[in-house]
Amino acid sequence: MAINVHIHAAHRQFTDGLEVVQVEGHTVGECLNHLIRQYPGMEKALFAKKDKLLNIVEVYLNHTSAHPNELLKPVRDGDEIYLIIMLAGG
Amino acid sequence: MLTPNERERYDRQTMMREIGEKGQEKLKRSRVAIAGGGGLGSPIALYLAAAGVGTLRMIDHDRVSLSNLNRQVLHWEGDIGRKKVNSAGTKLKKFNSAVQIEAIAKTITEDNASTLLEGCDAIVDAMDNLPSRYILNRCAIEKKIPFFHGAVNGFEGRAMTILPGKSACLRCMYRGSIPQEKFPVIGVTPAVIGCIQATEVIKYLLGIGQLLINRLLLYDGLELTFNEFTVLRNPECDHCGSLSTPLLPGAGQKE
Repeated sequence: MAINVHIHAAHRQFTDGLEVVQVEGHTVGECLNHLIRQYPGMEKALFAKKDKLLNIVEVYLNHTSAHPNELLKPVRDGDEIYLIIMLAGG
Repeated sequence: MLTPNERERYDRQTMMREIGEKGQEKLKRSRVAIAGGGGLGSPIALYLAAAGVGTLRMIDHDRVSLSNLNRQVLHWEGDIGRKKVNSAGTKLKKFNSAVQIEAIAKTITEDNASTLLEGCDAIVDAMDNLPSRYILNRCAIEKKIPFFHGAVNGFEGRAMTILPGKSACLRCMYRGSIPQEKFPVIGVTPAVIGCIQATEVIKYLLGIGQLLINRLLLYDGLELTFNEFTVLRNPECDHCGSLSTPLLPGAGQKE
């Protein structure tokens, strides 16, 4: 069961420069946990605490917002997860 | 009615089937609020003035400083220390003397937003922080005025159009407060995003094209890519969730 996680440019320092990481899991949360097992630096980049994403992190599943309750959203083989950082400047 | 001078001035756009003289008259009759006269506000105001939008209400409490000039192209060296709305107003009047400028040098707050935005056909987000954007978002929803969101950081930007009660709003994506920080940016990024916002405003005022509703557009200037994501109305949104207008198909569906 392979799911692609697309890593934001600001986070690629934690994934050896990889733009896409393959993960496994049945939910978005399981997939992100698998991502962190491969690249531990992603934990602080994504999570404020266990099961609580940073407010600045947005999750899109197959190009659709997974908000709210992102981590509980089920995923299927071939799904695409995008991790995006909210912007506030003008 | 357009004057002979206006017919000549806007000839290249009235010859477009989507605009014509009728469309140009619509633009002339429109009043657009631009909240923020900085990096995003500069190209938004300039291109809406160029297009012949009749009235631009510029709202910004700030004064021009040297560090603004890498991106806020309506302000020049001689303007340092001036109120941004006055600096912008001077350039816009020189550029298109027929455009009415309503310059408001005030901070937008929960208390005054409704008054500041009264009577506008569109509200454009050219702010530099999220709390102010949420004030605008809530006010736009309460007054049922379309809201054109844009934001930038570095080489990245995003834009989305909000039709109150019909599409997802900015708050539908809210996940909690975010610390306010000085943000990095190079001028070309707000230029790109500001022009996208101005494009959306013009399309909305004319009633043409497909708006960025329920569509978050992300721009990456380094990769030179545009990416689009679907954002659906959140039925529990504390800004728009209680509106009685039916959600668009697909909104609020359980997965």
